[in-house]
Amino acid sequence: MMFKKKMLVSVIAVWAVLCVANVAPAAPPAGFDDNEIRIGQWGPQTGPAAPWGSVARGSKLLFDVVNEEGGINGRKIKYFIRDDMYNPAQTVAGVKELVERQGVFAFVGGVGAACGMAVKDYLAANKIPWVGPSAATQDFVQPLDPYLFAVYPLYRDEANVLTKYIVEKLKMKKIGILYQNDLYGKDGLEGARERLATYKMSLVAEIPVEPTEKDLASQILRLKNSGAEAVLMYVSPTATVIALKTAANVGFKTQWVGANTVSDYPLMFKITGGLFEGVITGAFGEIPDSTNPLMVKYRDAAKRLNPQERWGTFYYAGILFADPIVEALKKVGRNLSTDALLKALNSIRDYQTIGPKITWTEKQHQGTDSLMIQKCGPNASYIQLQGWMANDLATWKKK
Amino acid sequence: MPVGQLLVEGLAIGACYGLFATAVVIIYKTSEVVNFAQGEMAMFSSFVAFHILSAYQYPFWLAFLITMLFSILLGVLIEFLFLRPAKHPTILGMIVITLGAEMFLMGLASWKWGAEQKFFSLPLNPSVTYEPVKGMIINNWGIAVFAVTACIMLFLYIFFKYTKLGVAMRATQQNKHAAKIMGIRTERVFSFAWGFSSLIGAVAGMFFASRATLDPAFMMEPFLRAFAAAVLGGLMSIPGVIIGGGLMGLIENFFGYYWPHWKPIIAFIVIILVLCLRPSGLFTKHYVKKV
Repeated sequence: MMFKKKMLVSVIAVWAVLCVANVAPAAPPAGFDDNEIRIGQWGPQTGPAAPWGSVARGSKLLFDVVNEEGGINGRKIKYFIRDDMYNPAQTVAGVKELVERQGVFAFVGGVGAACGMAVKDYLAANKIPWVGPSAATQDFVQPLDPYLFAVYPLYRDEANVLTKYIVEKLKMKKIGILYQNDLYGKDGLEGARERLATYKMSLVAEIPVEPTEKDLASQILRLKNSGAEAVLMYVSPTATVIALKTAANVGFKTQWVGANTVSDYPLMFKITGGLFEGVITGAFGEIPDSTNPLMVKYRDAAKRLNPQERWGTFYYAGILFADPIVEALKKVGRNLSTDALLKALNSIRDYQTIGPKITWTEKQHQGTDSLMIQKCGPNASYIQLQGWMANDLATWKKK
Repeated sequence: MPVGQLLVEGLAIGACYGLFATAVVIIYKTSEVVNFAQGEMAMFSSFVAFHILSAYQYPFWLAFLITMLFSILLGVLIEFLFLRPAKHPTILGMIVITLGAEMFLMGLASWKWGAEQKFFSLPLNPSVTYEPVKGMIINNWGIAVFAVTACIMLFLYIFFKYTKLGVAMRATQQNKHAAKIMGIRTERVFSFAWGFSSLIGAVAGMFFASRATLDPAFMMEPFLRAFAAAVLGGLMSIPGVIIGGGLMGLIENFFGYYWPHWKPIIAFIVIILVLCLRPSGLFTKHYVKKV
């Protein structure tokens, strides 16, 4: 008797729930509603790569400014950051949580090639657009992923442009390279080789470094013995510090030329004890004290909205990686959908804010091949040596 | 090939490996425990020195002295808090405890000082170099490493040979129970060994930090190399580990000059070959315990 009563109550309860569900309005499309668009980003807020975590906070500044100005077509951006500690396993966990529980519409930025590769297929399978990964690898853009739109110039293009500058502007003929023995370093090596081949020249020394190595004496002596007038560095910030200190110790003087990964001069100047002065690097953004009106606008906004954050290159890189999605969302208008956003992103041509010009088509999602060249001056000041410079040898353009 | 320069650089980094390996061996000699927290103990002490220098702006030598005292306390505390409470531990159990201590110290340092790299320097100008013989450039860092290693070696020789405590440490290692019966307070010996080892490790840690950067993970790789140097020389012989460190530095630098791809692993290949022929290392006799 008791059992029957319980059954009856349960059936009525289920029926009531179903009725309520039936009369409720249809659920909004995942990722946005009439008032908000949900956008996410992962990045190392703690752990060994924490200095790059400012990228995610930079994107937040952009979205805060957009929201302050009334949002996009009446919708505010709701922004989520997940700390993955630069650990791909944690990136996967954070991204799944954002997609499946928070209903994120799109992702921006995201530090680390390995972290990005860990979630690239998942995002594509769930039809989640991902704009401006904060890493440069050809695997993001070749073969074409219809949901992934890259802003970051490829290291191969950067090394190409830097080598061109060394040969043509600095008039140096003997160039060596210190490269990390992984995709990042090898891309740099390929770019340098490719450019030198056009001058019928070759690198005088190609020296690999394992990411964990702490003693680079033999590598630096090899570079010294090669007589390299300029040495390209495609290594981590720590290896850069060790290389500069070791070179000072063994009396090796050369023109060091680094990748954009070491373009945070105040940080590099500090951790090298000033040895970074004179180092030339590639750069994917304007110099911090640029008078570009948008740089002035964001710099002022940062002082107001996030005064404790240092206005560094990685912080405002977060703005330039996320900028194109704001532009595309504006283009889409009120009738937002994933397809409409993809269409708008695919129609972006020569779009430029505080970074390089971005162009995407349905067949090509590598946005740029352009970089600036800068030099670390006294007290970690930025000296601009070269404005935006494209790589005329970019192989991905020909595909 | 810059033979002289490679010799100087190889021996300098080798002396640094050897110095740090000595810290590993001191604990091993007394308790037969390989302390996997050794690197992080040195890292933590180096961070303390960094903190005193940057937050309180004390002169280096005062900061150095305070750090040395701290490192002794740290070693004693780790032995007292982590290892001593273990009831009838096996050697493997003790090793696992040291791994736990390693994680604890790394987490604590990340929480206190953050994960980003810090600049740490000794009061030595890195750009000042000397060339006593043509082709052999030596810098202040190298001179300091050689001098400090030589002083510590001399001290250890006298300590283990002529002092009561040194003899007690050797006795404890050879037979803990017999040492106890003879009136040696073996627990105090262990505390002393950990404190002393931590101090030597901290000195080596500061040398490594000043050559690279200071961050919570910076001692992981030097620890591996120093441990390999200790195994190469023989885990029981202090002169052996210094020679092992020197050999390691020389092999890496000479080989790494021609085949940089192989630099990170060549020393380990040599060690495997050596251990196949002499399982106890180059400078230790191989004992077989008889039941």
